[in-house]
Amino acid sequence: MKLQNYTLRYLAITLLLVIPIWAGVFYAHILDEVHDNIDDDLKNSKIMIMRHVFTDKKILNSPEFGINKFTIKPLPKGNYSHKDKLYTSSEFMEYDNEDEPIRVLKTIFNDDNGNPYELIIKASIVEEDDLLADLFLSLIVLYIMLVITILAVNHLLLKKIWKSFHTILENIKEIKLGTGSKLKPINSPIDEFNVLANEVETMLNRNETIYSSQKQFIENASHELQTPLAISINKLELFAENATLSEEQMMEIGKITDTLNRLTRLNKSLLMLSKIENQQYPEEEDINFNKLSSILTEDYSDLADFKKVKITIIENDTLHFSMNKGLAIALISNLLKNALIHNHPQGFVNFTINKSDISISNSGSNSPLNSELIFNRFYRRTTTNESTGLGLPLVKSIIANYSITIEYLFNEKHTFKINFPKK
Amino acid sequence: MKVLIIEDEAGLREVIQQSLEKEKYIVETAHDYISGFDKLGTYDYDCILIDIMLPHGNGLDLLREIKKQKKQSAVIIISAKDAVDDKVEGLNLGADDYLSKPFHLSELHARIKSAIRRNNHNGDNLIVWKNITLSPEQRTVSIDDKELILNRKEFDLLYYFIINPNRLINKTAIAEYVWGDHTDQADNLDFVYSQIKNLRKKLKDSNAEIDIQAVYGIGYKMS
Repeated sequence: MKLQNYTLRYLAITLLLVIPIWAGVFYAHILDEVHDNIDDDLKNSKIMIMRHVFTDKKILNSPEFGINKFTIKPLPKGNYSHKDKLYTSSEFMEYDNEDEPIRVLKTIFNDDNGNPYELIIKASIVEEDDLLADLFLSLIVLYIMLVITILAVNHLLLKKIWKSFHTILENIKEIKLGTGSKLKPINSPIDEFNVLANEVETMLNRNETIYSSQKQFIENASHELQTPLAISINKLELFAENATLSEEQMMEIGKITDTLNRLTRLNKSLLMLSKIENQQYPEEEDINFNKLSSILTEDYSDLADFKKVKITIIENDTLHFSMNKGLAIALISNLLKNALIHNHPQGFVNFTINKSDISISNSGSNSPLNSELIFNRFYRRTTTNESTGLGLPLVKSIIANYSITIEYLFNEKHTFKINFPKK
Repeated sequence: MKVLIIEDEAGLREVIQQSLEKEKYIVETAHDYISGFDKLGTYDYDCILIDIMLPHGNGLDLLREIKKQKKQSAVIIISAKDAVDDKVEGLNLGADDYLSKPFHLSELHARIKSAIRRNNHNGDNLIVWKNITLSPEQRTVSIDDKELILNRKEFDLLYYFIINPNRLINKTAIAEYVWGDHTDQADNLDFVYSQIKNLRKKLKDSNAEIDIQAVYGIGYKMS
């Protein structure tokens, strides 16, 4: 979930809780104030009426609740409490055709002759249910408006504020060690982001240095090994040729030469690997993988015949991709070689070429390979002396240069599927 | 035939020298840029082997010098750096071949011979071994003037033997020459053996005076 939506979600939930609480308090306050006001008004009216009664006896006979909104009723003589009684009641209103709430003041007073009278004054007050409904509606409107406002502010303001953050994120995403990729500069008004960007850049530069010196080390080491290897192999060859040696001694020399040859292969693979990672194969051309596959299968046909493995190419479509030719050859031939080597007599290797993928499947052992490990350098399932353990890592580093992906599948047969990016 | 080796590694220089002298080449050596430059100016060679990384200078500069002096020598660059750029530059500057270290001596011989052969435009380019005549350009073989049809790989195999007569050839060198880097080392012995068996049979059927012996554990020797 994006940061914007995340904060918005929490704000919306919090507002949903806070607004009703606030509304309750607000409602109670308003109602209290209104009642207070009306009560004051009623008390005021009472004083005015009573004052009037002393000057004008007529109003003592005023009709019950006419337009006057008050009524005076004589009471039998007795001892009454003269305290005001205030309460809320309801009364039918013709206009509305329903009962409406009213506030009532009930009190008892004596006229100048000492006769007790009951005075009831009414005042209509706000209709609480209507008020509640109105308030509720207003609150919903307020809530929606708040959320929309926050959303808009979030969207506009936060987007602006977080713009530099997103640039940093993009920068980090695009970092590919060893490519010397430069970060896009950010110019944020926010200090934290500037610090973050600077730190990322420092970290990248540090890693880049370590990475390139490591790669350089592998490349240099491989280069430096070539000459001693050449001397050893050639001296042994000359020695075997010149000396008169027994068959056993020749065998031993043969074994040493084989080991040196293996070391040479290993070294060459390492060198190629670090060259690929150092991006030293920049030339690209359009490769027709159908053609390439058939050329390579032809190249390997002797080995395949020797191993009694049948190679079949199934062309469903033509696959073109622009990449370095040497790397394209290395990619396909490594997979083909693996498919031939890890096979059994009367087995098969099938190439399936589609518009944007190639699958190479082969018969072989009955258990699947560990797809987590097979692309690791020097991972070998069997401790065969002859494998360099660098074939699939080479494949992996080649495809990594071109955003090609590879997957390993097993269903009775072993399949490596190379997916080329769609144009 | 005179060959100049310009290589700073003493071990490699010696072993190449010994191997070439066995083939009756007259070999001169130079251990750095300056001595190489001196030798170039003083003598003419049929073939010059140049290492790219040299003390006091670059092998490619020596190559430029050779071309400037319009020397007729064939030039083979030997380099520990299997860099495409160096290779392309070397070949563009007029080198005849590029060999990356480490290499098998049989491979070096093959390269030297074909470089010298290509360099001598005049004269016939046929290679003759006893009653076998091989034309590298036409890719044809005849035995006692009777043509023998070989497929591409059989031809390469025979060519590699004939260009390296009486030498012990490592099976890996054969496999790499004929099949490129496409073979599996584990199977080299059996694989190369089965291919050679076919070739032997064809040669025997046409009465070629050739003997390809297996040298147990190492490879083959043609005599």
